[in-house]
Amino acid sequence: MRRGLLTWDENELPVSVLEARVAKLRAAMARDGLDGLVAYTNIAKPAAVSWISGFTPYWSEGLLYVPREGDIAFATALSKRVAEWISTVMPKGEIIPTPQPGIAIGKKIAASGARRIGMPDIEDVPARQAKDLVAAAPDITLVDATETFNSVRAGIDDAERALVRRAAEIAAAAMQQLDPAARTAQDLIAPCEGFARSAAAEEIFLSCVPDLRKDARFQRTDTAGALGETFALRISLAYKAGWVRVTKSFAREAKLAEKFAAAERSFSALALPLCDPAAQIAAALKGSCAKMKTWTIEQPRGSCPLVPVAGSIVSESSLQAAAPCTVTIECDLAGARWIAARPLL
Amino acid sequence: MASATHKARLAALSEAMRRENADVLLVIGNNWHADYLRYATDFGIQEGQGIALVRLDGATTLLLDDPAECERARTEASHCDVQYAPQLVKEARTQIVRAGNRNVAASPMHLLPYGLVNAGNDVRYVDGAPVIEKLLMTKMEVELDCIRRASKLADEGYIIFRDAARPGRKDYELIAEIETFFRAHGIAENFMIIGVGGQEVRGMAPPTGKTLKQGDLVTTELSPCIDGYYAQVCRTLAVGQASETQIKAFSVYQEAMAAGIATVRAGVTAADVARAENDVFRKYGLGQYTTSEYTRVRGHGMGLFLDQKPQILEDVDIPLVPGMTMIVHPNTYHPDAGYMVLGDALVVGESGHELLCSLPRDLFSVPVQ
Repeated sequence: MRRGLLTWDENELPVSVLEARVAKLRAAMARDGLDGLVAYTNIAKPAAVSWISGFTPYWSEGLLYVPREGDIAFATALSKRVAEWISTVMPKGEIIPTPQPGIAIGKKIAASGARRIGMPDIEDVPARQAKDLVAAAPDITLVDATETFNSVRAGIDDAERALVRRAAEIAAAAMQQLDPAARTAQDLIAPCEGFARSAAAEEIFLSCVPDLRKDARFQRTDTAGALGETFALRISLAYKAGWVRVTKSFAREAKLAEKFAAAERSFSALALPLCDPAAQIAAALKGSCAKMKTWTIEQPRGSCPLVPVAGSIVSESSLQAAAPCTVTIECDLAGARWIAARPLL
Repeated sequence: MASATHKARLAALSEAMRRENADVLLVIGNNWHADYLRYATDFGIQEGQGIALVRLDGATTLLLDDPAECERARTEASHCDVQYAPQLVKEARTQIVRAGNRNVAASPMHLLPYGLVNAGNDVRYVDGAPVIEKLLMTKMEVELDCIRRASKLADEGYIIFRDAARPGRKDYELIAEIETFFRAHGIAENFMIIGVGGQEVRGMAPPTGKTLKQGDLVTTELSPCIDGYYAQVCRTLAVGQASETQIKAFSVYQEAMAAGIATVRAGVTAADVARAENDVFRKYGLGQYTTSEYTRVRGHGMGLFLDQKPQILEDVDIPLVPGMTMIVHPNTYHPDAGYMVLGDALVVGESGHELLCSLPRDLFSVPVQ
């Protein structure tokens, strides 16, 4: 569950920005012949609703309705008392606490006479919500609005850029709290977590590769144990729905540590826009002895806060070259495994 | 390598699948509802979503839509056939059809994706609740051991939380301290909400940046998780010396929780426990504060999901059986003092219960310097 700071600040996310996003969305809905758009949210799939409304749930689920005209409405299975809290973190729109969000939104749609309703990421939406929606509004046609939503989401505004930048600052500072002499994953992870939450992170997921000589796979604090001679820490962090990842590799041996540091300095030269990412990453690393084995670029898409959009494991790139992203690389560095990730803003 | 806990779970699951004539069980999970997926695969999902297909012989395919989670699962749930599936629903659909499955038991039904149900093929999804829900509610000894350990850490964690509470601190800074403690002790997940303030506070929520001040009540539910199993404790503290009004109000919660806990044994229903708690409030003329206007539940089951069945409410007639784990918490608003919480976790026994919480049932207070 989300248990970091969840609040809304007019200075960071002005109502005018949210209104501008909804206006863009409505223009796209008109273009694509939609009378309304319904977005689903839970803590694993919060990004569409948080982009439209500023709201991220800490638990449970809900549906946000954006009609072609009029106020947006958010129906959630969270309780009536929690709705009071939602009203403090979601500045615009009606809040409807109900055990059946689909029915509540369906009734609103039926009352409005809207007929063609789009849902982003409709494949993933719980069928019960869609079924309830249609049961309460039997005259509607429900269609996939993933492309409609993503076409609008492609443009990033200054407010979002600032929130992602703040997330990147907290993540970088949290990484600085790490004790390179730590002997266990728990000792490595705990201070970073504490710092990030004290710095008002909304969420933080920490994992580590305890021994880079043996494996490249990240583990959590409950399964990773003793750290080896080389290890890596990965911080995935959100600040008010802006997500970044930072990964850093460490070597206890001084000469290898210096090589890791040199590779990191080279990697830090990478900058937006990423028009030919593989070539640009390779060029950035040229000054170091790092040889890239895999690379991944992540950006928000639909209801997912971060999703691979380009890289070794992505068959078809959908990278937005100038938009903020997180770049993760795994390299061979003088025979040692070296993993790094950083946000580009 | 499957843990001993998971081997026992998988055996129980296979037996239930045979009993219910299910050839394949589809479970879906995410960081909100991780319980079904954890039971079937032993993987604690953190980002994205996952779908597992469990066959009668225990062979399990775990599909995950996040590549890093997929890599982690290959380490932490290596007994499963773990596959990266960026188009998660499409891949699950393909595998179900390819295997010739026609009747698929699915759980939890409320998360079953639209893209599976509306695939236009002749696969029928039946509610998998009869296969798995009883198993989630009634724990085996290996599962109880996890909950006992989590409960111990909840008690220790509350002391950290209490000592962190002092005037001038932000609510999220308290949570930072407790999360640091939990990560240092190998706890990857924790559910907690918090309330800060006085008579105006009507419930708990995530931290909103409130600054603690003298006279405030600070309420929290703390719920660390070991190997996927949650244990919860609820306590209230006063910043500075608690007032007479706060102490008097809290005594109702102490009496109500004691009454509820005294009721817990095999054979009684969740409603009986709720009624015992609520009767105490009614005795003091506070009956209206036991309704949904002011409170959600009077306790709940806990295990791989924090808020699992049975919910402790006067209209829930689920009988308690040995091995159920639950928290009894008469948390609600009090008109004189604001929202207060008090809750202890326990295991249902044949003729009584095993109390897991060892914290005093006090209204704690923290000094103001």
